[in-house]
Amino acid sequence: MLLAAMLAGCATTPTTGTGGGYGSSSSSSSSMPSGEPRQQPVDARADLQGSPALALLDRAEGARNQGNMSAAGRYLERALNMEPDSSWVYRQLARLRLEEGDAHSAEGLALRALRLAPYNPGYQAELWELVATARERQGDEEGARDARKRAQELRRGTA
Amino acid sequence: MAKKAKRAAPRRRKKKASARRWISGRFLAKVLAVGLVAMAAGLIYLDALVQERFDSHVWQLPARVYARPVELYPGRVLSRADMLKMLELMRYRQAPGAPTPGSYSVNGNQLIIHTRGFRDSDGGEPSQRLNLRLGGGEITALQAGQGGSLARLEPMQIGSIHPGHSEDRVYVPLDRVPPLMVKMLLATEDQDFYEHHGVSLRGLARAMVANIKAGRLVQGGSTLTQQLVKNFWLTQDRTLLRKLVELPMAVLLELHYSKDQILEAYINEVYLGQDGSRSIHGMGLGAQFYFGRPLEELEPHQLATLVGLLKGPSWYDPRRRPERSLKRRNTVLQVARQQGALSEEELHRFSKRGLEVVPRGESPLYAFPAFIDLVRRQLARDYPPEVLGVDGLRIHSTLDVLAQLAAEKALRDHLESKDPGGKNHLNGAVVVVAPTQGDVLAVVSNRRSREHGFNRALDAVRPIGSLVKPAVVLAALEQPKKYSLATIVNDEPLSVPLRNNEPWQPKNFDNKSLGPMPIHDVLVRSRNQALARLGMDVGLNKVAETLKTLGVQRDISLYPSILLGSLGLTPFEVAMMYQPLATGGFSTPLRSITDVLDKDGQPIARYPITTEEVLPQEPVFVLQQAMQDVVDQGTGRGVRAKLPASVKVAGKTGTSDNFRDAWFAGFSANHLAVVWVGRDDNSPAGVSGSSGAVPVWAQLMASLPQRSLSQKPPAGVEWVWMDPSGTLVSGEGCDGARRYPMLPASIPEEADRCGSRGGDKKKGVLQWFKGWFD
Repeated sequence: MLLAAMLAGCATTPTTGTGGGYGSSSSSSSSMPSGEPRQQPVDARADLQGSPALALLDRAEGARNQGNMSAAGRYLERALNMEPDSSWVYRQLARLRLEEGDAHSAEGLALRALRLAPYNPGYQAELWELVATARERQGDEEGARDARKRAQELRRGTA
Repeated sequence: MAKKAKRAAPRRRKKKASARRWISGRFLAKVLAVGLVAMAAGLIYLDALVQERFDSHVWQLPARVYARPVELYPGRVLSRADMLKMLELMRYRQAPGAPTPGSYSVNGNQLIIHTRGFRDSDGGEPSQRLNLRLGGGEITALQAGQGGSLARLEPMQIGSIHPGHSEDRVYVPLDRVPPLMVKMLLATEDQDFYEHHGVSLRGLARAMVANIKAGRLVQGGSTLTQQLVKNFWLTQDRTLLRKLVELPMAVLLELHYSKDQILEAYINEVYLGQDGSRSIHGMGLGAQFYFGRPLEELEPHQLATLVGLLKGPSWYDPRRRPERSLKRRNTVLQVARQQGALSEEELHRFSKRGLEVVPRGESPLYAFPAFIDLVRRQLARDYPPEVLGVDGLRIHSTLDVLAQLAAEKALRDHLESKDPGGKNHLNGAVVVVAPTQGDVLAVVSNRRSREHGFNRALDAVRPIGSLVKPAVVLAALEQPKKYSLATIVNDEPLSVPLRNNEPWQPKNFDNKSLGPMPIHDVLVRSRNQALARLGMDVGLNKVAETLKTLGVQRDISLYPSILLGSLGLTPFEVAMMYQPLATGGFSTPLRSITDVLDKDGQPIARYPITTEEVLPQEPVFVLQQAMQDVVDQGTGRGVRAKLPASVKVAGKTGTSDNFRDAWFAGFSANHLAVVWVGRDDNSPAGVSGSSGAVPVWAQLMASLPQRSLSQKPPAGVEWVWMDPSGTLVSGEGCDGARRYPMLPASIPEEADRCGSRGGDKKKGVLQWFKGWFD
C-alpha cells in the first residue's frame, strides 16, 4: 500500500498551488510592511531562528529539487524531531506530501502548521490555500471552498 | 533362542546360492554399469544441489532492525552520563584521539567520537570524527567532519527478524574481514587451502594418524571447503556416508567457485555457538554475540578467540569455559606468530589480554523483544514473509534507546519495591510515544524486560478504569453551551436500571459521596458517581463516539459501566487513545518504523508522518488544563515527588474493580507514556493507579528531557472567573469564585453581583479580614 502511494507520488506532477509571498525556498526572506508590529514575519529563518534544523531544511529543499522526495521527507522529519512546534516545518512537510500525491496527509499537516502558526494573516492565508488544494485533490469541494474563503478573509484583513 | 536358530538356517543356504552368481562376470559388468550410471546421476544431483544452495544461501539474510540514530547538534538535551552510556551500549572503545571508527576519547566535558557511518534514505552519514562539548545537560558545541554542526551516530542494531527459521547472520564481505583473521583461520584450520581442490590428502593423512593414535575419531582432517559443505548441506554427525557425500561435494564446490568465494561463504556460514534457540552462524554475528562489536573492530586476541571456537563451539565456549577458551586462543595466537602474522611483541601483548567477552544478554542486540515484536507485526502487515526473509532488509525503527532503558528501569525499580522478587506475580507494561510524530519510542512488556513471551504492552486487554474519564469529560465539553469545567455535577449514589440485570449502582473508591462539585473536580479527584451522572446526562452514544474519535477501534458496548472504564484496551491502544489529547486534537498513527532499506542501503519504503485533525483544539485545551490539575492536585499528584512542578504535564490515573489493574496515562509536550501494572491471571493485585502506576510514570518521565505543555490558550479559549454555581460569571476575589478555561459558548451572559462590578480584589482582602475577626 505504501509502495503504491509512493509510486502514485512519483506519477503526480509537482505543483506549487500555494501562492502567497512565502516562496518555496527556506532561504527566502519576507519583508513585512513596517508599522505592523504585532504581525510576526514567518519564514524558515524567523520560525527556526538559530536552530540546527535550518540546515536540514536546506538539505530537504536540495533533495526535493533533485526529485528525491524520500530523502526530502526524511530531512524534514528530522527537522521536526528537533523543532516539533515549528509551523514552518509542518508547512514544508505538507507541501512535500502534496507534491508526492498524498493529499490527505498534506491536509492534516497544513492544518497542524496553521495550529502552530504565529500571528501573520498572509502566512495563515497561504496555509489555508494549501489546505484548500489538498481538499480539492481529495474531491472535497465544499471543504476546499471553506478553506479558500478563510484565506480570502485573512487576505482582506491584511489588505 | 531356539526359534531364531531354526530361521537362520534357510537364510544361510540362500546366501550360498547367491554367492555363486556374484562371481559371474556379466553380472559384475551390469552392476558396474548400473553403479556408474547411479554415480553419475548422484553427481549431477549433488552438483545441482551444491550450486543451488550456494547461490541462494549466501543471500539469505534476515531483516535487521535498528534503533533511531542518535542525532547530535548544539542545544540538544543530552547529559554527559547519557552520552557515555550510549557510546558504551554501542561498544565504542575508549582510545586516545579516537583513531578508528567505533572509538572515542573523553577529556572532561570534551569528547572526540569517531563514528562508524551508515546509509539512510537521506544518504546517511559518513564515518567521521566529531568534536563534541557537553555542559549543563546539553550539547554546547559540535564540530563535524566538513565543518558542519549536525551529525548522527549510526543507528544501533537492536534485533533481526526471520520469517520462519531461527538462524541469524551478520554478513561480512571478504574485503571487510580483518586479514589477520583470514591468516589465523588458514593457519589453524586448513594450511593448504589455496593449493588443494577441495580435499587435502595431506590433511586426511594427518587426521588418520591422529585417529589411529587415539583409537577413535578425533580429527576430521577436513578442508575449509569440506567444513563448508558440512555446514551447508549435511548434518553434524561423523558418519561414513556423510563423509562419502562430502568429498565429491567439496570437489564440485571447488569446480564452480573461486577460493575467495568459498572462503567468504565459510566465514559467514560457520557455526559458532548457540543462544537459546538461536544458532550463531558466521564470524560477523559471532563478533556481535561474543564481543558486542562489528568484526572489523575486533582486536587480534578477540579474533583468535573466534577462530579458536571453530574446533568446538561449546567445548571452547568463552563464557562457560573461559579457561579452556583462553588456552585455545593463545594456541591460535602462537600459530599466527609461527606463520608470521603477528610479531613476537604482539604475541606477548595479546596473550596477556583477558577474553573480554561481553556478558551474555548485555548486548543491545535482542535486548528489546517487546519492541521488536511490534516492528515485526507492523512489517508483517505490510510485507509478505518471503520478502522479509530473502532481502536482508535494513529496518530503521523509532526506538529511542535511552527512553527504552528508562522505561525498563522505572518499571523494574517500582515492581521490585512493591513485590520483591516477583513472588506476588505483579507485572506490568509501559509504552512511550512521541505524541506529535506518533513515533513509538519504547515498549516494555515485562518487569524482566529481556524475557520473551506474553507481550503485555500489545496483547494484555485490560479494563481501563478511570482512564476513560477524560473521554467522558471531553464528550461533555464538546457541547460547550451545556457544559464547561465549572458545571456542577452531583457526586451522589445513582441507580441505572438495566434490562435483564440488576440495576447499575456505581460506588466511589472511598465509598463516600461528596455531593455537588464542578466537572473539573470530578476529573481531578476521579469521582465515580459524579462522573457516572455526567456520562448518563451526556449520553452513552456520545461518549462512545468520542472514544472512537480518539482512536478506539474495539467494539464499545453501550452499557453504563463503560463510563467507569469497563472497556478493555491494551496499553498500546491506550497510548493511541491519549495521543489526540496530547496533541490538541490531531490523530497520528503510531509507527515503529520510519524507513526500510535494502541490504545495500537503498531506500525501499518510507513510513511518513501522517496526521489528521480529529477534534477541535478548544475543548482539548480545556480538558488538558484539568488533566494537568490531576497531576498537580489530584490522584496523580504522586508524580510531583519526582517531576518538578515547573514541568507542565497532564495525565489520568486508572484503577479497575478490586484493584486488579493500575494505570497511569499522561503526557508532556514531547512524551506520552502509558503504564499498566497488574497480574496476568487478572486476580486482584492490590494496586491503584496512584500507588501502582504513577511512581513508574514519574520516574520514567523524570529521567527523560521534557518540554512543558503549552499554557497559552488558543484563540477561542479564555480564562474566566466563575461563581460556585457554575452558571454565572464572577470576578477575581469574589466569594468562592474560581477561574476556568472556557469556550465562548460556555461563558454565561450574566454575572453575579460581585462579578458584574468586575470582581473585587480589595473586597476579597476585606472579606478575608472580616472573616478573621468574625
